[in-house]
Amino acid sequence: MSLLRRLGDFVDQRTGHRALLAHALDEPVRGGARWAYVFGSALLGSFLVQVVTGIALMTSYAPSEKTAWASVHYITFIQSGGWLVRGLHHFGAQAMVVVLAAHLTQVALYGAYKKPREVTWWLGLSLFAMTLGFALTGYLLPWDQKGYWATRVATNIAGTVPVVGDATQKMMQGGAEYGSLTLTRFYALHVAVLPALLVLIVSAHVALFRKHGVTPSARADLTRVELFFPKQLLKDVVAVLAVVAVVFVLAWREHGAPLDAPADPASDYPARPEWYFLALFQLLKYFHGPLEIVGTVVLPAVLGAYLFALPLLDRKPGTALRGRVGPLVPLALIAAGAVGLTLQAQHQDAGDEAFQKERLKADERATIANRIAKEGVPPEGPLAMMRRNPDLRGPELFDKHCTACHTLGAHGADKDRTAPKLDGWGTEAWVLAMIHDPDGDARFGRSIYKGEMPSVDVPSPDSPPTFKPMAAEDQAAVAAFLASFGDTAPPRDPAKAAKGKTIVAERCTTCHLFEGKGDDSDEGLAPELSGWGSVPWIRAQIANPATNATYREHALDASRKGHMPRFDGEIRAEDIDLLATWLHAATRR
Amino acid sequence: MSSSEPPSSTPGSSANPSVSSNDVEPRPARRTVTLAIVVGGCAIAAATAIPAAAFVSAPIASKGAAGRWVRTLRLDQLVDGEPKRVAIVDDRRDAWTIERAVELGSVWVVKNGDEVSAYSAVCPHLGCSVNVAPGAGAGFACPCHTSAFAPDGKRKSGPAPRDLDTLATRIEEGFVAVDFRRFRIGIPEKVEA
Repeated sequence: MSLLRRLGDFVDQRTGHRALLAHALDEPVRGGARWAYVFGSALLGSFLVQVVTGIALMTSYAPSEKTAWASVHYITFIQSGGWLVRGLHHFGAQAMVVVLAAHLTQVALYGAYKKPREVTWWLGLSLFAMTLGFALTGYLLPWDQKGYWATRVATNIAGTVPVVGDATQKMMQGGAEYGSLTLTRFYALHVAVLPALLVLIVSAHVALFRKHGVTPSARADLTRVELFFPKQLLKDVVAVLAVVAVVFVLAWREHGAPLDAPADPASDYPARPEWYFLALFQLLKYFHGPLEIVGTVVLPAVLGAYLFALPLLDRKPGTALRGRVGPLVPLALIAAGAVGLTLQAQHQDAGDEAFQKERLKADERATIANRIAKEGVPPEGPLAMMRRNPDLRGPELFDKHCTACHTLGAHGADKDRTAPKLDGWGTEAWVLAMIHDPDGDARFGRSIYKGEMPSVDVPSPDSPPTFKPMAAEDQAAVAAFLASFGDTAPPRDPAKAAKGKTIVAERCTTCHLFEGKGDDSDEGLAPELSGWGSVPWIRAQIANPATNATYREHALDASRKGHMPRFDGEIRAEDIDLLATWLHAATRR
Repeated sequence: MSSSEPPSSTPGSSANPSVSSNDVEPRPARRTVTLAIVVGGCAIAAATAIPAAAFVSAPIASKGAAGRWVRTLRLDQLVDGEPKRVAIVDDRRDAWTIERAVELGSVWVVKNGDEVSAYSAVCPHLGCSVNVAPGAGAGFACPCHTSAFAPDGKRKSGPAPRDLDTLATRIEEGFVAVDFRRFRIGIPEKVEA
């Protein structure tokens, strides 16, 4: 103990730390310690959490269009402890907004903005604006759909400000468009400019607070004076602990923070801001055309002006709430309005089926993106990764190019269909149905091939008198053989498939090609059966169905109007590959 | 939020209604409160600092890329006794990035009769890129701190703590394949990084 004391003496003689500490701890609290005074400290505490987690995140985050999303994905899903650090930072930011609102409310209710504390109040307001600046700039950094679209709305709002709007927007974005310069600028604001300003202004804010002391409640017993240490400090520590605990529980429960699909400027995305900006978002719905600026600029500016002017409006001496109702009414209205607008925005979204559907689609995309990125993201960035993924690109291409004639699952409308339904195409069950009833509605029934293929077991008027229905066992063998081309696993019953091959080679080649030979009837209609249902077969069929590799060389002649067209000029070769890969899997699902 | 609570509900204020200062506070109580403050402060610091420290120190647990057999040049492109520098081209996983067919580094390959040897081109001293020494059969030399190695990779002179690191080779369909690995730098033992 005495050694510690001597060390303390040594340091104190050289730094005077004891006097400094005493000055910090012995701050008089007029009227005694109160829970009402904890919010400022709670804000400082949660800011420190943001600083620590933020610096940690900086060691892995890479702000560029091609790497931002990938690095945040790496932090969230791969780096050990990453999910927790990012979760603490994400929910810590939201906690700051909540505690900030509580701090402002407490100060307003206690009249702590009144003379001579006006400057403390104004500095506090600028800290409020800065915190929202942190939230706004931070939201973009993951460069995911959510942050990208929400921030685009925000910068476009900045652009609507008269006179300075255009320049402001370009300054923020680093140009007329969003890109890597937007990210680096937002990053610089978020990790350097705003923190430096915040530290500066917080210092001034706290110094002024210490100069004037707390503003006790009007009913407080002013003869009672406690020192900051220990009672108020204990309350402050408990408050910070409570905030950190809530943030921790939220981060733990959500296992980090959500990450949406990578930002895609070409996509449709149901953009919504973070919940604390929802009121402003909702406000924009009510002002149209030339009045737009009322929602984007005028009302927020009026709100700011009111908050700024509050200490000037409320000049009567005394802090009793009863004497200050007038000046505080707008604040109550603003609070009620913000809550009302937020609830209204949520209510409208909950009842908006189109929005819910879009949201679901976006979530699905996010899930797939987050899954495939675990294999690594190419240097060309996450959008290239998405474009090269059959599960994402396949359905897009199918919807765009195939649903005019085909349907598959929920893709395409059955009323428009003029070609086979593709569900189950390539499987044994499909072959069995096809050889029994080729003109079924799901198969050739609506196509130009209706009436061209005979059933193997139902005689038609054209059947020769020697027609003998194919035995069920043989049909099963044919199905097993034809489905085997598209199967990734070897056939379960090789003998059955081999028997099917013999039957196909004998019986089907009257019309079909098989391994390049056949079509004894010389009609030039029925497609090649070897490889049928495999990815190469599908790819060849999409690229050009008139090469004999699938359908026949005359398939696209004018006389075959209504036949499937070739797509090799319309869809890029890589995309045909992806479409074929996806179709092969999707038809079998 | 508690800010909207009536101020009279503030806990702890009723115990000592008149004048209170630290001096009247009983010693044991004051010590308990101080302890609570310290413990609380530590809890806050730990909740933030421990995840952050785990995050920042995650690379300590990371391992270098495992050895992999990479095909380099054709065997008939090698001249007996003449070292040739070949690039190691393979896929590279770097944090979040996956790159296909990029140069991971280079190795020296030498053929002596039927035997093909490969040496890591990374100097075991401090990791500079080792070159061939001028003159036929002069071996290898590091351009940074003048370490010199014999044609068979043995350390001849200079500050290098060990011989050049040898890599296993085999012939695959007429190509020289090298088991590409990296080793720790600056120590006498050949240990994988």
